Amino acid sequence: MKGWHVATIVALIGIIGLFYAGLGRDPRNIPTVLVGTAAPSFSGPNVQSGEILSFDSYKGKIIVLNFWASWCQECRLEHQNLLAINGEFRNYPDFVMLGIDYQDQPGDANGFLNSFGSSYPHIRDIKGTIAIDYGVYGVPETFIIDSKGIIRFKYVGPIIGPVYSQVTEKIIRPLLEGKEL
Amino acid sequence: MIKAIWVISFLLFFTHAGILPAEIRDETSLDARTRDVSKTLRCTVCQNESIWDSKADLAKQMREVVRERLAQGQSEEEIQAYFRSRYGDYILLEPRKSGMNWLLWAGPFVLFAVGGLILYLVVRRWVAQTPTTRMEDLPPLDDEHKKRIEEELKSFE
Repeated sequence: MKGWHVATIVALIGIIGLFYAGLGRDPRNIPTVLVGTAAPSFSGPNVQSGEILSFDSYKGKIIVLNFWASWCQECRLEHQNLLAINGEFRNYPDFVMLGIDYQDQPGDANGFLNSFGSSYPHIRDIKGTIAIDYGVYGVPETFIIDSKGIIRFKYVGPIIGPVYSQVTEKIIRPLLEGKEL
Repeated sequence: MIKAIWVISFLLFFTHAGILPAEIRDETSLDARTRDVSKTLRCTVCQNESIWDSKADLAKQMREVVRERLAQGQSEEEIQAYFRSRYGDYILLEPRKSGMNWLLWAGPFVLFAVGGLILYLVVRRWVAQTPTTRMEDLPPLDDEHKKRIEEELKSFE
């Protein structure tokens, strides 16, 4: 076999390998650049009370930050699980759960929380700047921030099925107990 | 009286002409820069469109962020760096010319050059392997073909 025959075969195998690797990926799954970086600060009105809440007032705590909207069907799917997460960890003094209401109408957001329940504060992202600061593509998206203010985990999509136990047992609990992830 | 009206009109026109175009120029300058920067950023909802072209709410909010940052005096590079720090290189519609991205920029040209070289070498080999036809090797023309050639040549006269 001549040298250029071998080169052609190697090139073809390489191209097929690239296609195989590329086409097997989910085009919507874009790796986040924010994990390992400092969580951006923000403030905004509480969806239900209108009181201004600030991220800085929760410094030093483990924060679960969930971006949601009343018009989002997947947010409805995960909502009871989010309430369950808050119920499970709310007694830890270093645990805080926050919702960020994304591209929503105040009335619709209030209606959603009244219908499906609410046990933690929700902040309105009036101009969308909180979402942009967190590199949000859409909803739902969930971030977990450690006590040093570093984003340790990001999940795109609803917290349902096996993701629930992954989030609670492999991320939140170890962080609260001071263990390495 | 008419003269006075003309003078006042003239003065009003030119005092406003001195102010209005400046305001418009400032506004359109910011608009144009917002458009230019927005065209370099990918909409994360309609992923094949820039945030300038996209109708998505998120794109509209991103355009507003671009405008505010330009108004604060940030450069195009600083604004792109901010969006890259949130979304990664993916947010740029045109990949940066650095690191592994050079593969994307140079790859097509390199492949074109290599392909062209291979084609040239193959064709040159084919030409070298094809025996050249000498006149003496050709079979003689028969009478029928000779007659036909002569007739066709006559038709040109």
